[in-house]
Amino acid sequence: MAKDMTPPDETLLDIRGLSLEFRTPRGRVKALRDVSFPVRKNRIIGIVGESGSGKSTILWSILGLLSGNAEVTAGEVLFEDRDLLHTSQRDLQAVRGEEISVVFQDPMTSQIPVLTYARQMFDILYRRPELSREEKRRMAVEMLEKVGIPDPAARIDQYPHHFSGGMRQRAGIGMALLTGPKLLLADEPTTALDVTMEAQIIHLLQELQSETGATIVLVSHNLGLIAELCDDVVVMYAGEVVETGDVRSIFHDPQHPYTRALLECDPARIEKQAGKLPVIPGDIPDLVRPQHGCIYAPRCQRVIEGVCVTTPPPNAGTAGGHARCHLLDGPFHDPEWPPPAEVLTVKAGETGRPAGPKKIGEEPLLDVSDLNVRFRTMGALHARLKGVADPFVDGVLDVSLSVRPGETVGLVGESGSGKTTLGRAVLNLLRSHGGAIDFEGEQIRNMPERRFKPLRRDMAMMFQDPVGSLSPRKSVRALVTEPFEIHGISGVDLDAEAERLADLVRLPKPLLGRYPHELSGGQARRVGVARALALNPKLIIADEPTAGLDVSVQGEILNLMADLQAEHGLGYLIITHNLPVVRHIADRLAIMYLGRVVEQGDAEEIFRSPAHPYTRALVEGIPQPDPDRRRTHVSISGEVPSLMNRPVGCDFATRCPCVQPRCREEKPPHFTMNDGRVHACLFPLK
Amino acid sequence: MIPVSAKPSDPETGLPAIDSTGLPDHVSEAEVRESAARERLEKIRMFMTNWQGMGGLVLVLLFFASAIFAPWLAPYDPNALDIPARLSGPTWEHLAGTDQLGRDTFSRILHGGRVALKIAAIGVSVALIVGLVLGMIAGFGPRWLDNFLLLLFDTVRAFPTIVLALATVALTGPSLELVLAIIIITSIPQYARVTRTATLTLRNTDFILAERSLGAGVFRMLWHHVMPNVVGPLLILAAMDVPVVVTVEAGLSFLGLGVLPPTASWGTILNEGYLVIRDAPWMVVAGGIPLILTTLGFTFLGEALRDIFDPRMGKGR
Repeated sequence: MAKDMTPPDETLLDIRGLSLEFRTPRGRVKALRDVSFPVRKNRIIGIVGESGSGKSTILWSILGLLSGNAEVTAGEVLFEDRDLLHTSQRDLQAVRGEEISVVFQDPMTSQIPVLTYARQMFDILYRRPELSREEKRRMAVEMLEKVGIPDPAARIDQYPHHFSGGMRQRAGIGMALLTGPKLLLADEPTTALDVTMEAQIIHLLQELQSETGATIVLVSHNLGLIAELCDDVVVMYAGEVVETGDVRSIFHDPQHPYTRALLECDPARIEKQAGKLPVIPGDIPDLVRPQHGCIYAPRCQRVIEGVCVTTPPPNAGTAGGHARCHLLDGPFHDPEWPPPAEVLTVKAGETGRPAGPKKIGEEPLLDVSDLNVRFRTMGALHARLKGVADPFVDGVLDVSLSVRPGETVGLVGESGSGKTTLGRAVLNLLRSHGGAIDFEGEQIRNMPERRFKPLRRDMAMMFQDPVGSLSPRKSVRALVTEPFEIHGISGVDLDAEAERLADLVRLPKPLLGRYPHELSGGQARRVGVARALALNPKLIIADEPTAGLDVSVQGEILNLMADLQAEHGLGYLIITHNLPVVRHIADRLAIMYLGRVVEQGDAEEIFRSPAHPYTRALVEGIPQPDPDRRRTHVSISGEVPSLMNRPVGCDFATRCPCVQPRCREEKPPHFTMNDGRVHACLFPLK
Repeated sequence: MIPVSAKPSDPETGLPAIDSTGLPDHVSEAEVRESAARERLEKIRMFMTNWQGMGGLVLVLLFFASAIFAPWLAPYDPNALDIPARLSGPTWEHLAGTDQLGRDTFSRILHGGRVALKIAAIGVSVALIVGLVLGMIAGFGPRWLDNFLLLLFDTVRAFPTIVLALATVALTGPSLELVLAIIIITSIPQYARVTRTATLTLRNTDFILAERSLGAGVFRMLWHHVMPNVVGPLLILAAMDVPVVVTVEAGLSFLGLGVLPPTASWGTILNEGYLVIRDAPWMVVAGGIPLILTTLGFTFLGEALRDIFDPRMGKGR
């Protein structure tokens, strides 16, 4: 590759010894400590780390856009020999946008909703008085074309709400590149997008980079994204750089135990269906306390007693960069480290698992057939006046699904596919308009709340936002025992029950006295599990159980759920967009698109040979955390159409790579294949 | 605490080493308790160092103490006449002078504070409770009920307080109860509106949906989950509303629509002082000072509380 020929000393941005503190009521949070790494010209550098590792803080300190309570205590940020930390506001403003620009995480909130794109892009070029209005417009249209907006000359006069999420992110990238910056900062650019859109954005960034030779700093927690895009990688943990190196050495030969553990925890890297995922035990340390020694020592599997906790680790040179670990250099150097790639350095906890197959009951616990959920789009009178015969959209259309005791069913789809709606309709939180929902043989669809209430003891729901789904002014103890009070269960010692549940979900008991905002995401998720389990339910509907959790923590939650299933024979319906995770826990999968199930069947089978083109696109859309397996093409283009104008024929016909004329006219029914798989495709891939 | 061995599924996990207290080794019970206590201490410290808040607190306490202990603090009976010393200026005998009947103004101010406190305490708390309940019903109930209640609130708010009072007094004659009723009715809508808006945003949150999925009833959701989240800002609003209520009472009494003579009230003192302002200006001054101090005290206290307990305000300042 040509860019590898660039001499390594051509550094565009050099961060040296950067230390930063936040003043908070709890004390000074040492958010960054002695962070140093160079950003070389014409390369993409990825900063990877879990939440709280300080990766975004670095970006904001480069631009001088830190919040008011931040204070840089040491270090410098050199951008072409200028120290950005000690530049006047005026000069810094000149740098921002012109020489360094940013792509934000959420295109919904980072673009001005009341201005057209044309206007917003003129504003970006305000420092160019020599350009005429026409020239600026031409530049903007060209840029939109470059980032793949169809019909840019017309669409530039539209507002952000006319654009879909993926298009908005494309426009955001275009706006960042408009001034031809030397450095582009991207803060989790794909986190707010769906899998198929993520693949398209990755592809776009790759193309733009090879075309313009821009230097990009990419911040992400997504190892797959980093492996796909980056040339160099910086691994951060709790405000420190633990390892740097080029992408191949980081992904193929990680030196630091944390890097190694992080890679081992990524479900997308684990090939076989293990049932149990590896986890890094413990939590990120409290950065208010003074730190001595290695920051990762409390969680490290290879900690050397009496050394790692007290003595700062040496900065050892590795094949492609640096790593801070006692095992690599100095008197405690271990020539055996790192072990070969096959050896797991973190505990997967597979030992105690019963070897036999899972005990799955015969009779379905939950049986959904031909369920329809419709949403009203306009009032009855309004529809009559406008002559609209059917003022509804189908959120869920003819969905059939069953969950047996002890079985895990994964419900997968992009946002807007109706998967959450389905989950809520099953729990009678939404009215449904057709079909049947049977729970243990009893018809429960649209049952009045008074009669449904006893059944709520048997079916529980886990919500997407671990902290937001807990009532903020209630202690954890009150929250986990609330189900007993709601269902009027007397004769139990609530304090004892609270402790039993805390034990069950492995929540440290002193946390029972805390309030939700004082919990970490993983702890709050455990409280959610405890609440769901309080009354010994038979079915748990989990809406994105790992959303908002770090890689090392999501394994703990999923292992916990697997243990509880083995112990209590629970049936799980797991609603998620995260395919790598669902692959390891689900027995069966149902793939939803525009409110319809397009494919349903055994999870492994579906992954091995998808029958529906959409399933194939989803499976291929997962970015692989392996720099040698970068994709060269994007399997599907376009975006999910709006429910308001559902395609006449097959719902997927507008995006399908193998579309036939018949697909555009005929809605495919559900076909059952020999192996029991159900799909809705006229021309299945298998 | 139950030992770890009671846990059935523990050996097969890849979880942190759990010590005998059932805790991962990096969280100790003392540490958790300490962090909660530290946060509380920090809030108190923030309040103590806030001069506005402390000043407000002192004034508010002064207001309460002077009103509650008025019978013991007042040097004279508020209605006792000292004819020879009528319209006297401040002297050692009469600290704030006397009025045209020779009544001790200082004693009348202390007793007038009792009226102000009574009106403020009863008026604000009843309005707060009724407004909270109506607001939660409007925010959580069906759309038609919400619209109906909003119409009601807006109708009541459309009446100017004083004009409403004038009209009612014309029908019933002046009394303390009437002042109270007017104050309560006119302040309910503002509490109800604030509550309704807060409830509307809460009803679509995940945690309310989570409560519904557990089978919680409407009453439980409102009482346990909505109310604790809306009552905080409402209490601060109430603290800032006390001076408004006190001045409304004083205003109505000043106009002769409030408490009846000879009962002492800050409004009647001002009114009587106003009649003799050319001969004895200190009466108006003495009647005005407690009003000013009460207003300042409650406003400062409310502002300080809001700064400390509403973390969304003033972040990064």
